[in-house]
Amino acid sequence: MTTTSAEALTALILSARGVRPQSLANAEAEEVLNIALALLIELSVSNDRIDRLERMVAALRDEPVSALRDVRYDGEAAQERQEAMEALLARVLRIMLDPRVQPPAAAAS
Amino acid sequence: MKVRDLQHAVLPETSAEQRSRQEAVVALRRLLNTRVRPRNVEAFASEAQPAFIAAYGRAPQSPEEVQRAFLLSPSYRRWSAANRAAQEMIWVSVGEPIYRDLDRMRAAARALVTAPDRKGSLNLDPDYDPSAEVADVDIHLQPGGYAMDRGEDDVVAGALYECGGNVFSFGQGIGRADSKAGVVIRLLDERFGGLRPQRILDIGCSAGAASAAYAAHYPDAEVHAVDIGGAMLRYAHARAESLGVGVHFHQMDASAMTFADGSFDLVVSHNLMHEIGEAKRRAMMREARRLVRPGGVVIHQDVAIRDQPTIVHQVERDWDTHFNGEVHWSTYATADLRADMRAAGFAADEIVEHDLAAVQGFAGNRWYAISARKPA
Ligand SMILES: C[S@@+](CC[C@H](N)C(=O)[O-])C[C@H]1O[C@@H](n2cnc3c(N)ncnc32)[C@H](O)[C@@H]1O
Repeated sequence: MTTTSAEALTALILSARGVRPQSLANAEAEEVLNIALALLIELSVSNDRIDRLERMVAALRDEPVSALRDVRYDGEAAQERQEAMEALLARVLRIMLDPRVQPPAAAAS
Repeated sequence: MKVRDLQHAVLPETSAEQRSRQEAVVALRRLLNTRVRPRNVEAFASEAQPAFIAAYGRAPQSPEEVQRAFLLSPSYRRWSAANRAAQEMIWVSVGEPIYRDLDRMRAAARALVTAPDRKGSLNLDPDYDPSAEVADVDIHLQPGGYAMDRGEDDVVAGALYECGGNVFSFGQGIGRADSKAGVVIRLLDERFGGLRPQRILDIGCSAGAASAAYAAHYPDAEVHAVDIGGAMLRYAHARAESLGVGVHFHQMDASAMTFADGSFDLVVSHNLMHEIGEAKRRAMMREARRLVRPGGVVIHQDVAIRDQPTIVHQVERDWDTHFNGEVHWSTYATADLRADMRAAGFAADEIVEHDLAAVQGFAGNRWYAISARKPA
């Protein structure tokens, strides 16, 4: 029977003991920072995977990987990339774009 | 022998993706250590001290007050939170491959430690109850701690220590070819007339990186190594066998070892002093002196965090005590180790403290050591 990654991570996390004091003034902020940094690591992992694929494709096409990466978008493709980038920013920065501000009472607590 | 980043049969198999994750954690830690942490002392002057004065009407004085002041600095808090997050991610990045590959690793370890042609030995003591001051804490947040032993064939604590230690060290700027044993071997050559020990004791050996390196460097020597946890020692023994060197591992407490007086030419401890309290450290040093033969050498090596220029630097270095489960970090940093060596039985003129360059590393890494030769 093989152990899945999720099971392995659960076993690891459950074996940890003791208190882990926070540094930031706000515990929720510290949690979010931990999540953001973990996502940073995962992004780097994904970038490595893309890099591996690019190198493989370049090898299959018998061209240097720099040639494969040296793409300049124009026309319809450029438009598509632009739209995709704007949508990404809108998703990630939703909180800054959302006109609904918190009521002062909730914000102060 | 290289001690870090070695290939052997009890290491977990890792996928390219898992290696990417470990490398990203190394890079994150390196950035925090080289680019962010150096600003802490400056942030003390610009943020922490003014905030403390605003709150209490005077400058912070004691280490406790300096620590409280640091926590008033947003820059320090951001670094501290990020550093702890990165420390936790060390264990996540190495723990996943270990727990996934554990069945194979346990089988490999069992085969190695019971092989008829094994060179070393494993001596576990079922009656030994691992020293609680270490066993009950997740030191440097290693899940389960040094002494975690999940029963027969378990090797998790050893694998976590070795794999996590590599990710930690590379992020700390410690080179892949660095070796604390190498530093001691160089010291023996330069300061102790090239003593070639025939019997060596490594106290607090963990996964046995140094123990195996001594066995490789002195192929005629008999090397013994002591630690507290069964799973750590099983892993250490299997690792040494897989590397083809003989080391005799013992589950024993550093404060009360069962070897006869004068059994060893060289007694070393690597990075042990900062993990144990005052009483244990003194008892360990007494034991080290008892166990070395007349004319033999004792060397206790550890991290170079002693002798900080100011109290602010000292408290900044003491982050590990508060946030990294290093309960005895500051006990060690501020201890009078010369006095302890004298209390252990060495004469003042036999004791030498050393500020040692690492064998390899990019950040000007140094190690501390205190040594003494027992009169012949
Ligand atoms: C930081 S590790 C150092 C390991 C290794 N010597 C190295 O340099 O990589 C400290 C080790 O000391 C061990 N230790 C702590 N207290 C001990 C005691 N009372 N007796 C023997 N070993 C102890 C711990 O279990 C741990 O493996």
